[in-house]
Amino acid sequence: MSPPSNTSAPTVTDLDGTAERVVTCSEVTRTFSRGGTGGWLSGGDRRAETVTAVADVSLAVSRGEFVGLAGPSGSGKSTLLHLLAGLDVPTSGTVTLAGRDVGSLSPRGRTALRLDHVGVVFQHFHLLSSLSARANVAAPLIELGHSKRQRRERATTLLERVGLGDRIDHKPGELSGGERQRVAVARALSTAPDLVIADEPTGELDTATGARVLDVLADVASDCAVIVASHDHQALDRVERVIRLRDGRREDEGADATRGENETMSGHE
Amino acid sequence: MSLGSRLAAIGGIAVAQLRHDRTRTALAVIGVTLAVAATVLLAATGVGVVETGQDRFGDAGRDLWLTGETIQFAPGQVGGVENSIHGAHEVATELRSRESVNTVGPLLFQTVYVSADGEEFQTLAAMGVPSSAGVSISRGEGFEGDAHYAEGSYDGPMTHEILIDERTAALLGVDVGDAIYAGGTVSAARDHRFEVVGISGTGNQFLGTPTVTLPLSELQEITGKTETDPATLIALTLEEGADAERVGDRLAAAYPELTVRTNEEQFRATLQRQAVALAGGASLIVLAVVAGLALTLNVLLSMAYQQLHEYAALRSLGSSGGTLTGIVLCQSAIVGALGCAIGLAVAVPAARAIDVVAAAVTGFENVVRLSPRVFLLGVGVAAVTSLLSGVLVGWRFLRLDAVRVLREG
Repeated sequence: MSPPSNTSAPTVTDLDGTAERVVTCSEVTRTFSRGGTGGWLSGGDRRAETVTAVADVSLAVSRGEFVGLAGPSGSGKSTLLHLLAGLDVPTSGTVTLAGRDVGSLSPRGRTALRLDHVGVVFQHFHLLSSLSARANVAAPLIELGHSKRQRRERATTLLERVGLGDRIDHKPGELSGGERQRVAVARALSTAPDLVIADEPTGELDTATGARVLDVLADVASDCAVIVASHDHQALDRVERVIRLRDGRREDEGADATRGENETMSGHE
Repeated sequence: MSLGSRLAAIGGIAVAQLRHDRTRTALAVIGVTLAVAATVLLAATGVGVVETGQDRFGDAGRDLWLTGETIQFAPGQVGGVENSIHGAHEVATELRSRESVNTVGPLLFQTVYVSADGEEFQTLAAMGVPSSAGVSISRGEGFEGDAHYAEGSYDGPMTHEILIDERTAALLGVDVGDAIYAGGTVSAARDHRFEVVGISGTGNQFLGTPTVTLPLSELQEITGKTETDPATLIALTLEEGADAERVGDRLAAAYPELTVRTNEEQFRATLQRQAVALAGGASLIVLAVVAGLALTLNVLLSMAYQQLHEYAALRSLGSSGGTLTGIVLCQSAIVGALGCAIGLAVAVPAARAIDVVAAAVTGFENVVRLSPRVFLLGVGVAAVTSLLSGVLVGWRFLRLDAVRVLREG
């Protein structure tokens, strides 16, 4: 069975036509109001404190790239991942995902954009414990209205691709941590996304198991763009380039940043 | 096909979750079962009590009921009931002379000491009637009459004949032809030996408790009430074709100290006196529904919250709030259907058991009356309980902030 095709939005191709940019962000800042009575993400309280999680970040990632996002805890890695994935919108600046300005979309529009273009892998896997590995992988396809047979075929293919062809009927509780994370990777791939983001994908795994998961993600990067946020040197050593954050800002304001800005500008031409 | 396939998948996940988390599922189902069974049983009992009461008044075959202003229990007095109609025989004679009135039966209810051997006494209800013609007799025969009254002198001969019901017969171990002692006090009872001449369930029908029936003046005599000639109420039957309401109005004008009621009014008045019990029953239904709803809602919420990060992950992968809400609604519908089926199934034998207990304690049979309407009420409660739980939890998922959940996780 062929993977689902994503035709709802155009992707952007570099001027030289070799690399298809999947996501770009230009001078992106994300602030939160914290404190007061409303709690996290609420605003309006006079005593609320404004926290800048991401400040003035520009970057671009193209199909086929395997990119690392590095930085200490609180550096803004997860916030930037959420912005790149269309889960969140920037306070200022622009995130363009699969050719669409994320900030201009409604929550429903962003959900649809993610369904068509984004796969997410979490540190804690977040698999439904009541479902088999195959049903977990097939779950995102429900939204697309695929038949049961199509969902099962697609999920089986992906589980075989991540080396779990013999575990399709196992529930998460019957799998090791590494196997669960590979199921999560297969789930992220189920809708044939253009961008896969992984937040600390090896954080729960031992070195050997983590290496196996990174192998899978590297393999995935041959078809789409993969961004991995991690503290883990093993993970950062595997990626092709690393974007470093500290206090919400890029530390590596050099070639990468310039490249991102240029790409962004050309993308609007 | 796309919508059908999506719905089928949502149902599949809902079932898988329920099967996976069996303890919570069982608790949620118990919540609905509790609400359904309690509602059905209490509603069926309420319907049964009302219908039984109406049947009893209908069976009594009387048209009008006259009572004093109040009928009070008076535990400190001999007889235990303060009766507010005085000069009952005279009032009855006056009433008999009135146009449209066919029969007049002053009835006196008292509690008396009764014994089969004159040694061990029990307190039972007693009903005094002017003639046994007005009571139904299943075995034996009636007593002769009320000759002891003797125009108010109470020196006429006592028949010393008494009717008892089957329960009293079983209680005392006596039958027609045997003798029992009865009186307002133990010493009075030792002085009055009555022959059981027949078996009658009429007193039991009125009072719902083992009852002995004897001539009015003799009951007044053995309870020391001859001074005031009291009655608890006076039951009238009217001539064929007489208008009960119009006759009642005339009697009310003639006897302002008495309250005149038709069958329906008398029954309503009886129900009103039981307002606290009725309110208690209604409160129990509300409590049962609220408790069931709280349990089901809590369990569904805890099931959902346990999977909150997983649902947030699916949201981040592009699953819509509608899909997640659909899973929760589907779960609540399944829980509701299971709880409803079990609740209704439990209600049937439970109703029989309550009937047996009620018959043993009160003497009224078939008090719990299950009917299609009562079952429909149970289905409605299940639907409301599960739907409300599902909607409240589903609403939470429609508003799920995946980023916040994932960040906090």
